[in-house]
Amino acid sequence: MSILANIAGVRESADVDYTARGFHHLHTIDSAALSDVARTFFAEGYYLEMMTCQDRRKVDQVFRLVYQFSRLGSLDRHVINLDMDPKDQPLSIALIFPAADWLEREVFDMYGVVFQGHPDLKRILMPEDYPEGSHPLLKDFVDPESKGDANGQPV
Amino acid sequence: MASRFDVVPDRENRDTYFLNMGPQHPSTHGVLRLKLHLDGETILSAEPVIGYGHRAHEKMAENRDFLQFLPNPSRVDYISGMIYNIGYCQAIERTMGIEVPERAEYIRIIGNELNRISSHLLWLGTFLLDLGAFTPFLYAFDDREKILDILDSVTGSRLTYCYGRFGGVVMDVDDTFLRNVSDFCTYFKTRFPIYQDLVIDNVIFHERTVGVGIFDQDLVQKYGVSGPALRAMGHASDVRKDEPYGIYDRFEFDIPIQQEGDCFARSLVRMEEMLQSIRIVEQAVKGIPEGPFMAAKVPKRIRPAEGEYYFCVESARGNFGMYIVSDGSDIPFRHKLRTPSFANMATMPDVMRGELLSDAVAILGSIDIVVPEIDR
Repeated sequence: MSILANIAGVRESADVDYTARGFHHLHTIDSAALSDVARTFFAEGYYLEMMTCQDRRKVDQVFRLVYQFSRLGSLDRHVINLDMDPKDQPLSIALIFPAADWLEREVFDMYGVVFQGHPDLKRILMPEDYPEGSHPLLKDFVDPESKGDANGQPV
Repeated sequence: MASRFDVVPDRENRDTYFLNMGPQHPSTHGVLRLKLHLDGETILSAEPVIGYGHRAHEKMAENRDFLQFLPNPSRVDYISGMIYNIGYCQAIERTMGIEVPERAEYIRIIGNELNRISSHLLWLGTFLLDLGAFTPFLYAFDDREKILDILDSVTGSRLTYCYGRFGGVVMDVDDTFLRNVSDFCTYFKTRFPIYQDLVIDNVIFHERTVGVGIFDQDLVQKYGVSGPALRAMGHASDVRKDEPYGIYDRFEFDIPIQQEGDCFARSLVRMEEMLQSIRIVEQAVKGIPEGPFMAAKVPKRIRPAEGEYYFCVESARGNFGMYIVSDGSDIPFRHKLRTPSFANMATMPDVMRGELLSDAVAILGSIDIVVPEIDR
């Protein structure tokens, strides 16, 4: 019985082989379900272990947000995949999990994903005055300060 | 301890001011900046500003194949680099199903635990230096130097080890190494009473740390605190026990815990952890078998099957996780590093509110931050 069984917008839940993959459950959800999912995990005593993003625009035209919830005591690790249109603005869960505050800032910094309702969305790892629109972990990132290689070709 | 949050946020007509602590400050252990809003000496709010040590390890991982990334993990956290380096090897071994020979597993355990002790010794020295005690620093670094020499003799490096390989370790250890290790264990146990007298029983140390920087229980779930900071709050959580990797499940050791969650409790946990690591090392030296130190068959090309993988190890600072997304090629599609200090550092605004400015130094020291590890 999945913990997310009763939430609308959870498209797929599957158990995965923990010994091979390192986590127990993999869920795919819609953006609309994110707040409900986060609240459910918070109520069940899970913490947000990790959050990140994948730039899958070349593969299937989406950004994939990845949330990973885990808990103390008996080990149970859930990975949530949320595929979103690169133009969309997903909801922030920083008010539910304060850990998401910094993690969402990192995703914004590295991928340019804007989170609605984030208390203070600004760059976290890159300098504050880094050129707007430059997000280093995008697959098509070009260093704005680079003058290119020896032949002047972009690197 | 509800009173910690009783500080009135900035009122009208109140003389408050902002103070920048860092980025260049001896007690920030690297390049960390704290924006502090102060009323007198009391912290009204603290905002850590990180990123000064950002070296883009995650971007580097996406630009090179799995083997080429091997030197990087130990640079992420150069104080306990061995644990990161070997952790990365173990992650790839799990995704590829590579069997590691027994001897290599034992060597890894010895390396990991010696590195953990050296990391905790560095913490001990610098933490007390932050608190104004100079002498313990010399004692701690003296002992740490011995560990670095031992590891240097077999790995060839003092801090940023690249000793693990997919399927084993790069060089075998000899009997001299094992004798040095067991000599060190004996020696270190004689040093421990000195630390007890000099540091832990010291009344000034008590006054600076007891009741300072208390982590409230709700921070665990809010931020995902891990490592000694978590164990000092009464949670017996340790990746080595919870999800044993390598051969940790064969060793007898305890998880030291304390209940108070203050700087003193974190110190006690770390001190006790060093003894537990010595216990593990002694068992490993006793039980190390003869045999190969490198797997006979390691695939030439590391190409994990498509999908996502997560693997975490217990570093000296807490739960270090690697989230690897493979698209079936030589190069990872995404390699996210979940570093423990990032989560521990994120709690600082909550923990520091209402504390004194001089205690901010103690709190930062007690969670044992390594800033480049936060920034990656």
